[in-house]
Amino acid sequence: MTAPTSLSSPVRRRTVIATGAAGATLTTVASNRRADAAAASRRYFQHGVASGDPLPDAAVIWTRLTPTPASRPGSGKGPRAEVEWEVASDQRFRRVVRRGTFTTTAARDHTVKLDVTGLKPATWYHYRFAYRGVRSRVGRLRTAPAVGSSPRYLRFGVVSCANWQAGYFAAYRGLAERDDLHAVIHLGDYLYEYEPGGYGYGMDDRDIRPHDPAHEMVSLADYRRRHAQYKTDPDLQDAHAKYPWIVTWDDHEVTNDQWKNGAENHQPRREGDYRRRRARAHRAYDEWMPVRMNGTAELGDGDRLYRRLTFGNLAEFSMLDLRSYRTEQVETLLPFPVPTTEPAVSDPDNTITGAAQLRWLKQALTRDQSLWKVIGNPVMIAPLAINALPDQVVVPVNDLLGVLPDDGFPINVDQWDGYTRDRREVFDHIKDHQVQNALFITGDIHSGWASDLPYDAATYPLSGSAGVEFVCTSVTSNNLKDQLGVPARSAPTRAVEAAILVNNRHIKYLNFDDHGFSVLDLTAKRAQMDWFIIGDRAVKDTRIRYSTSFATKVGTNRVTQVSGPVGR
Amino acid sequence: MSGCAGGRRPAGEPSPAEVGANEIATGRRTLLKLGGAGLAFSSLAAQPALAAGAPLKDTKKRAYVLVVDGCLPEEIDGALTPNLRQLRANGLRFPRARSMPIMETIPNHVMMMTGVRPDRSGVPSNTIYDRKRGEVRTMERPDDIKVDTVIERLNRHGLRTGTVLSKDYLYGIFGGRATDRWEPFPLLPVTEHAPDVFTMRAALAMLDDLDPHLMFVNLGDIDRFGHSDVTGPLGVKALRRLALADTDALIGTFLDRLKSTGKWRDSIVIVLADHSMDWSTFDRVVSLQSTMDGDALLRGKVQIAANGGADLLYWTGPRADHERAVARMRELAVKVPGVLSAHDRRSPSLRLGPQAGDVVVYCKAGWRFSDPSPVTDNPIPGNHGHPATRAIPFFIGGGHPMVPRHRASSTIASTIDVAPTVARFFGLRGEPQGGWDGRSRL
Repeated sequence: MTAPTSLSSPVRRRTVIATGAAGATLTTVASNRRADAAAASRRYFQHGVASGDPLPDAAVIWTRLTPTPASRPGSGKGPRAEVEWEVASDQRFRRVVRRGTFTTTAARDHTVKLDVTGLKPATWYHYRFAYRGVRSRVGRLRTAPAVGSSPRYLRFGVVSCANWQAGYFAAYRGLAERDDLHAVIHLGDYLYEYEPGGYGYGMDDRDIRPHDPAHEMVSLADYRRRHAQYKTDPDLQDAHAKYPWIVTWDDHEVTNDQWKNGAENHQPRREGDYRRRRARAHRAYDEWMPVRMNGTAELGDGDRLYRRLTFGNLAEFSMLDLRSYRTEQVETLLPFPVPTTEPAVSDPDNTITGAAQLRWLKQALTRDQSLWKVIGNPVMIAPLAINALPDQVVVPVNDLLGVLPDDGFPINVDQWDGYTRDRREVFDHIKDHQVQNALFITGDIHSGWASDLPYDAATYPLSGSAGVEFVCTSVTSNNLKDQLGVPARSAPTRAVEAAILVNNRHIKYLNFDDHGFSVLDLTAKRAQMDWFIIGDRAVKDTRIRYSTSFATKVGTNRVTQVSGPVGR
Repeated sequence: MSGCAGGRRPAGEPSPAEVGANEIATGRRTLLKLGGAGLAFSSLAAQPALAAGAPLKDTKKRAYVLVVDGCLPEEIDGALTPNLRQLRANGLRFPRARSMPIMETIPNHVMMMTGVRPDRSGVPSNTIYDRKRGEVRTMERPDDIKVDTVIERLNRHGLRTGTVLSKDYLYGIFGGRATDRWEPFPLLPVTEHAPDVFTMRAALAMLDDLDPHLMFVNLGDIDRFGHSDVTGPLGVKALRRLALADTDALIGTFLDRLKSTGKWRDSIVIVLADHSMDWSTFDRVVSLQSTMDGDALLRGKVQIAANGGADLLYWTGPRADHERAVARMRELAVKVPGVLSAHDRRSPSLRLGPQAGDVVVYCKAGWRFSDPSPVTDNPIPGNHGHPATRAIPFFIGGGHPMVPRHRASSTIASTIDVAPTVARFFGLRGEPQGGWDGRSRL
């Protein structure tokens, strides 16, 4: 694949070099003009540009127009406006391949989102918008490889869980500074619903920078304003401009621990009907994210987020929605990481996917379009439990008494461990059809993990493995170290990590201490995940460094540590 | 016995060994003794008629197709198979390779050499219900294959071909097609296969003394040990591991011989399996005969050819009731515990042909079929034929410049690709009538 030249923001990274007096004068004039243009651009396009869901011949492009100072996000104010857009095969827009005009209004919060079609596969494009002759910054995107083609490799940034109040998005800066990715995968918790002081930095929830609006987001205007606030972050803007994104949501895009008819952080008496609140959250998400919902870039035509994206015959991504169709989480007496003995986690009536999405996922696994069956999986699927007993023991006991969870006593029932029958159905399907190279990439849990996926955790490795899972850590959201208020790599988190690893032989890597991002690299020989970690989230320019890498060789369904990261 | 465990032939029908002996006795093949260890080979008594165009017999190219019968792709990633792992790493591998329905030994070996699916080759499974004879039998007769093989195509171009097939029924179905053939011995009782140590001796002797352009070798131990491995359902696979290590070492000697004799630089070595393997416990057995016989429409009118993890159901009742019977068989089969799916044999994706009957039923992973008797027909723990046994190793090594180095392909390869690959390697022009179903992987 061709490595594109670096794109720098015209606003943030402009460098002026002048030689001699005449040169200095000309440079100053030119510089002033550029500064004026940049200021105008900042005025109209305050929230950057973005692209997403690349197909071999299409991609979604996005921006948000602020046509008047009064047209603030969520305000419902501002005129109908015509925004020009163009897509070119070169950075200077000498070879424009598509252009058009998009009409936006306050009814859609002045967002601009369209599906650009007629593009060539596996090709870098540049795009920009213009309003009243003022151009936005330039974004770039890469289309997916053609159906049936065999890309030599694919490389993706992988992120999740970015809490504005908990700190600065250095992890996004890390992605934007790279030049070797094809897309960024966001696995959910792109934004958080909490009010200032509600969820922030460390165990006392200090706000490094407070949320807007200054209350929990509940109304459509709230969700729009919160999305808008996040998209003012310069690192996030750079990462969006640099690569197309492939996103799914977890719970906080609506509210904490949501399920299909409610959420832990939803109080109907004060906050109204949950499904209406969720519809508002989904509407804002559709407006503000470069994603096809219900298969289109249109608004208001449905909120189905689970979808497939194919990258030649090397990889197919099945992006899951594990919130909109799930049944309510089993109630537990004590919070994570205390295990529960509640057998209801294995109730066959509980579902994390919903029946239709589960059928769809199984079809995706069986149809075998690509070598790597990558599942964009908002919450962990690897069993994470203690005292797992072999199936030969659990099944007859439960047939008689129904007192044991299928896969041991789970530590977190908000993930697949709280819905073990769905997990078993997926794993059995993999086994029955000998589906190879199922690769779950996951967010949610604010920590880094690499794991095999045992058919029976108690007898693993003899029971065999259904695939592997790589979990990226959070961009900023508190991890266990933060919640305990202890330094990194200190005894308390080490003790929990050790206890988990001893009780779960299939888990090969666990890091409860760090924040950052990951890079997933796929070839026909192996899949590798690199973890990069940041320093203090409270420091804007905090250092980013490489942490570790794990890989799975094709066909093995097992992860092993490897010596270094890809592409640096 | 069902499926893979030895041949099932009607009373009075000669075994493949008896058929082969008769070919030698009647002068159609000439017996040769090679290798100094009592190894017996036979060669065609008369040179095959040459095809139009320039014969290729002066070529130095050599192709070796080594079938590690029943091997799982991931078994080559362990420490037991260093020779196979190295060969795979140095050449071109296909991690998405698959066996084709029915995932059994005979049809997939036939697909390897014909390059076409069973609806054209005539061989859909190990065992069929032979409607003409009214009996269930193994597909082990030379005339069961209805199309040309790449062996015969090479013969017609003046090239020498050799088969070294450890299993009696493979020896039977490929019959006298190759110019040179190993007469497998000793054949173990029940499994009706020659241990790999003997098969490899034969392959080396054929290499040294007959030097065929194409050699087609089946190594049966990994499969045979897997079938009988009672530790398989526990994941231990003790016997199987022994077989993997032994067979890998034997393949190492074969590769060493290619290098020491200078043949390596002119060679491609295609290594693949015909299917993989799955294990079940004694309590996970599916028997459909009683279910079919319990239905008023189907009673006494359904014959079953059991193929390990796949049952082939044949409607023998009135033609007028055929469609209703097919629907009924499928409806009943999918309700039986352990059944994964039941398909109309005419489903376009199956491409099995009428020999496969009317309904194809697959079991789930960890289960097996035993029909008609749930007790005696299939007592062995290791089985294949169902989708859980579809993935296979498939890679191409060798020293010939046509072999890509250190590469992996994300495309799907399958057993039907072997014949077109061999044909391409030797530069054979044209395709079989109707074209290949597979494609060259070079």
